[in-house]
Amino acid sequence: MLGTAKVVDRALGWVLAALMGVAVVNVLWQVFTRFVLADPSSFTDELARYLLIWIGLLGASYAAGRQMHLAIDLLPTKLTGFPRFYLGVLIEACIFLFALSVLVIGGIHLVVLTLMLGQTSAALHVPLGYVYLALPLSGLLMMFYSVGAVVTHRVALREWEARIERAGETR
Amino acid sequence: MEWVDIIVLGCSFTILLAVGVPVAFSIGISTVLTMLLSIKTGPALTTVAQRIATGLDSFTLLAIPFFILAGQLMNRGGIAHRLIEFAKALLGGLPGGLAHVNVLAAMLFAAISGSAVATASAVGSIMGPRMEEEGYERSFGAAVNITAATTGLIIPPSNILIVFSLASGGVSITALFLAGYLPGILVGLSLMLVAGVLAVRKRYPVAARTGWREISKRFLAALPSLLMLVVVMGGIVSGVFTATEAAAVAVLYALVLALAYREITPRDLPQILLSTSATTAIVLLLVGTSIAMSWILAYESIPQNVSLALIGLTENKILILLIINLVLLTVGVFMDITPAVLIFTPIFLPIAVQLGVDPTHFGIIMVLNLCIGLCTPPVGTVLFVGVGVAQTSITRVMRPLLPLYVAMIVALMIVTYFPGLSLWLPRLFGAQ
Repeated sequence: MLGTAKVVDRALGWVLAALMGVAVVNVLWQVFTRFVLADPSSFTDELARYLLIWIGLLGASYAAGRQMHLAIDLLPTKLTGFPRFYLGVLIEACIFLFALSVLVIGGIHLVVLTLMLGQTSAALHVPLGYVYLALPLSGLLMMFYSVGAVVTHRVALREWEARIERAGETR
Repeated sequence: MEWVDIIVLGCSFTILLAVGVPVAFSIGISTVLTMLLSIKTGPALTTVAQRIATGLDSFTLLAIPFFILAGQLMNRGGIAHRLIEFAKALLGGLPGGLAHVNVLAAMLFAAISGSAVATASAVGSIMGPRMEEEGYERSFGAAVNITAATTGLIIPPSNILIVFSLASGGVSITALFLAGYLPGILVGLSLMLVAGVLAVRKRYPVAARTGWREISKRFLAALPSLLMLVVVMGGIVSGVFTATEAAAVAVLYALVLALAYREITPRDLPQILLSTSATTAIVLLLVGTSIAMSWILAYESIPQNVSLALIGLTENKILILLIINLVLLTVGVFMDITPAVLIFTPIFLPIAVQLGVDPTHFGIIMVLNLCIGLCTPPVGTVLFVGVGVAQTSITRVMRPLLPLYVAMIVALMIVTYFPGLSLWLPRLFGAQ
């Protein structure tokens, strides 16, 4: 599980770095075509917006995997042992359920709906459904990472138990 | 407005936050739960998903990752270092010199970066050890750095003002940026005043004054960094660039400078780009879920009801602004600035506008107010970063922070009740 997480991490990391790089070049190209070529590019605005959706959603799952999202961690840091473990599982379960229901189920619904309506973007002529694919994809990654986080919590719990046992023996 | 809905929304949100569910997910989950009370499951989930995606579908928002990226490139030391040397040449000779240097350096860094966190880490990591070397207490230096870094969000460019522009439904970013200058400088001066008095009382050493020759030398060294301010803000104010384009140009400029100063090599770029994406995504997920939540708030007509209740309480503009400020100060203690701006702008802005407060002015009040919360536990991103780079603890830094909070609150009151301070520059440049 944790080995797979590393591979996913690396792949996702490269995708995110690439998306951000393309986003910068894209807007610089917009500036360049307007000022230097005096012939404003027609697609940069749209591409920039769609890139942002993908960066935001895929990045959010990456950040979830790294436990980077802002949280009030007063309670978790006060607890140890089993209570800490169960609280950790509860928090991950919330993230898992949100990712499953809203991002995956709601997202797939949205993708199917927009594809059926045949909506395409104005400049690039991409079906909008493909743009929204970022939602379920991000949701799946988040679910994967929250399972990984539970595994990590379990490891921490085992270590805690071993420590307590050792402390008991020395006493 | 259904009371059940509001209770479900409020309680679920508070409980989720309190047990430690990340803020963005707490917002999303409580929104879904509230929706399920009146909308069928399938459409509710699709609506929230759609709000999140369309919320991010914004060219303007793209300015945020670009300013973060430019900040990360400048964070590598070369630029911060030169700004600090310049600030030191100017103010190092005053009583409490290094404290003033820290504040001025933070303000200068703020004027080219859009983030308080970047300012706190870039300036703090250099200033901290120096202040300690000259006999300043570590916790004092950290406290000054933490509060001064918040000018990063008030002095333009500023990511949070972009978020406010979005949440307010289109207050001009140019006007907001221009409006931030004088209040940002006021905050800086108030901090300098208090920090200076404290430093004199503690008899911290005073360095020799710097000659004009040295000052001009330091200025020339800092000039390429300071020129970034001209490119970015000049471009936006003159209408040559949109904020997003200016931010992209800032990235290019910062990249060239960082490469020229040999702070980074092209091989560092993927890591910097990735960390920018991740940092941005944290903000963007908050933006997405907060937009879903403001939709349900509007659906329940909560903003209208809050405004009716407040105006029923008193019609005194001064009093209502005071109440709003007190509520926001409390919110800021427990909530990060981004979700706070996204959730409370739709609630409070209509009241303020009804009372005749200019929306641009209100944006500055709100951001300055919530900046104070960034320096307080339990949720204070700037506090955490500042304490982290100074390698001290929150408990130790609290004491020197207290008088600095007072300085910020006084500045907040002045900014709130003297609209001209915020509105003079935007009017001067016709940005309103």
